[in-house]
Amino acid sequence: MLSVSNITKYYKDTLAVSNLSFEVNDGCIFGLLGENGAGKTTTFRIIMGLLDANSGTVTLNGEKIDYKVTDKIGFVTEERSLLTKMTVKEQLTFYGILKGMSNEKLEEKITYWLKRFKISEYENRKIKELSKGNQQKVQFISAILNDPVLLILDEPFTGLDPINVKMFKDVIMEMKNTGCSIIFSSHQMEHIEQFCEKLVILVKGKVVLEGNLKDIKKKYQKQNIFIQGEFDKEKVKKIKGVIDIKENANQYIVKIENDDCLDEVFNIVSKGKNITKFVVEEASLNEIFIDKVGICYEK
Amino acid sequence: MRNKFWYLTNISLKKKIKTKWFLIANIFIFLGLILITNIDSIITIFGGEFNNDINIVVIDETHLSSATIFKDNLENTNNILESSAKTNVEISKNSIELEKDKLKETNKILIVLEESKEKVLKAKIISNDYIDTIYYNTLLQALTQTKTKLALDKTEIDEDELNKITSLIDVERTILDEDKTEENEEMSMLTNALFPTIILPFFILVVFLIQMIGAEINEEKQTRSMEVIISNVSPKVHFFSKVLASNIFVLIQSLLLFIYGFIGIFIRINLANKIGSPNSITDTIGGYLDTLKTTGFIDKLIYVIPLIIILMILSFIAYSLVAGILASMTVNMEDFQQIQTPIMLVSIVGYYLAIMQSMFKGSIFIKILSYVPFLSCLLSPALLISGEIGIIDVVIAILILIGFIYIAIKYGLKIYKIGILNYSTDKMWSKLFKAVKQKEI
Repeated sequence: MLSVSNITKYYKDTLAVSNLSFEVNDGCIFGLLGENGAGKTTTFRIIMGLLDANSGTVTLNGEKIDYKVTDKIGFVTEERSLLTKMTVKEQLTFYGILKGMSNEKLEEKITYWLKRFKISEYENRKIKELSKGNQQKVQFISAILNDPVLLILDEPFTGLDPINVKMFKDVIMEMKNTGCSIIFSSHQMEHIEQFCEKLVILVKGKVVLEGNLKDIKKKYQKQNIFIQGEFDKEKVKKIKGVIDIKENANQYIVKIENDDCLDEVFNIVSKGKNITKFVVEEASLNEIFIDKVGICYEK
Repeated sequence: MRNKFWYLTNISLKKKIKTKWFLIANIFIFLGLILITNIDSIITIFGGEFNNDINIVVIDETHLSSATIFKDNLENTNNILESSAKTNVEISKNSIELEKDKLKETNKILIVLEESKEKVLKAKIISNDYIDTIYYNTLLQALTQTKTKLALDKTEIDEDELNKITSLIDVERTILDEDKTEENEEMSMLTNALFPTIILPFFILVVFLIQMIGAEINEEKQTRSMEVIISNVSPKVHFFSKVLASNIFVLIQSLLLFIYGFIGIFIRINLANKIGSPNSITDTIGGYLDTLKTTGFIDKLIYVIPLIIILMILSFIAYSLVAGILASMTVNMEDFQQIQTPIMLVSIVGYYLAIMQSMFKGSIFIKILSYVPFLSCLLSPALLISGEIGIIDVVIAILILIGFIYIAIKYGLKIYKIGILNYSTDKMWSKLFKAVKQKEI
């Protein structure tokens, strides 16, 4: 289990992370969200021991994270941390040895993962000759070669097509099922929604939202009603609790404060013509994020 | 489990050596050295319209057998100078105009000797083309000797007396300083000529070393692989692996340069014997070795060479430490090129001072500089060989260098730890000073 307790980091006078605490249990995927410069990378660096926090502690299974422990951690950085002049095999061997793996074990693992990610034929190609997607695969494999107990994924799906995203997701879920603790950061909220049981949203280093995803959504209360057909929009707009009505792809999306006004909306819509759809959905994580962070993140 | 330090060192070294560029560069260096050491033999093998023989036609208008005397003198002078060119002297009875006409078709030199009432003898040197400066001076020397002989003949001095007058003066050289000997003076002259050639490879290797460390660290920073590496090995292990690998590489390259040099000389000796070409370099080396033996310098080398090697290896380490620290502070190779300029300038200053030190004998300023790290590796050996400083001074320079290395490691590692994960040049110096003040690394 990873335990981050009250970490605070200043860069001179600038606050990068403020009193951040969270725990990631074994076999749990944790989402760390925030706009650019929110403090995610600083947090990852502190967890990896690359940066010292001004205060607070980070432990993995009760041990302070140092070079004895980092062999058990896998780290996918946001940028592709690959030595482009090396071949795929050389690169994976290089990172594997630095993780303390034996040659035999490495050979076996490299063969397995290259085959699994369908890049065996590139084994002796230089990294710089690979496509972005394949480079991302190599980076991902280098992070999981050592069967880590903690896996840090900073934007792992960058440059991947949907088929490869699915491939990555499958492997991440396998890792989770084997008991690996995973911290996940992504700009694409649907990935976070799909994976993370717990999350933290950071704004300028401070926690603005944290907890279990289900609880967060429940607590957020705002909902969306998707309606197809003709109804009196002006009447609906005047209902107390209705925030906004938007037209999108032959349907209307009615945003409501909470489900108190739901019956009233339904009554008006039911008097309309050709109503084929009336679906109530919880707000998406993206909406929650935009609402909390105050900017459109998906741009 | 492998030791990560040795693994990183090994990978870093392989990156430098197991490349086609290392192979190509060494092929060129090897061929270049072979070419330089055998250039005249190679030219001879290929042949061409060149002839080392010098043909001289002498017209004697003095009626004093001046031409015969000149011929003898020229041969003697050539023998003394050990000139490789064969000189043919022909005494002509033809007129000057006729010989001048003939010159246009040949590369002969026409010398006309005329009697002078005021200066005994005067001469005209006529040629179709330029005459080599050294050979022109040889001709002048032979002509002057001829004039002297004629003048002495006129005074009816017998041959014994003449030999006494014209022979070289006996000189007894005495140096009052007991630490300095005549042999050392001779040695000093010899090494002043040789030293720039000896330290040039060292200087080039220093440039190699600085560039290699800078390039490697910047590559890891620019690709951000540094973050993954440093999350698995400490900055200290990473730093020392780079320093060690670069130094091993430089030592391997030095060894290769020596081997190439020896192969070049070996080929020269064999090639010269086979084609009978002039062998001035090997003769010169042989001459230098003889001088080294007679001056007792070989005995001195037993303790001088280890000291110089220690000084040079420590200097390589110091250069690589500073290059590594500077590279950690930069974010790309362009920045590194700029920040390393001061070290390069210091080493260039050291190189020129080492060459020029013989012009400033006894300079206290140069002696003090010979203790300064980065300069000591270039200056101390030069001053030691020329007898300007003693062994103790070199030992002091080594101790100062060890002290510098200790400080560079102690404070440089703190900078390195902060620098390698820093991707911004903003407030770089304040970050680094702050790093130096940190208690722990």
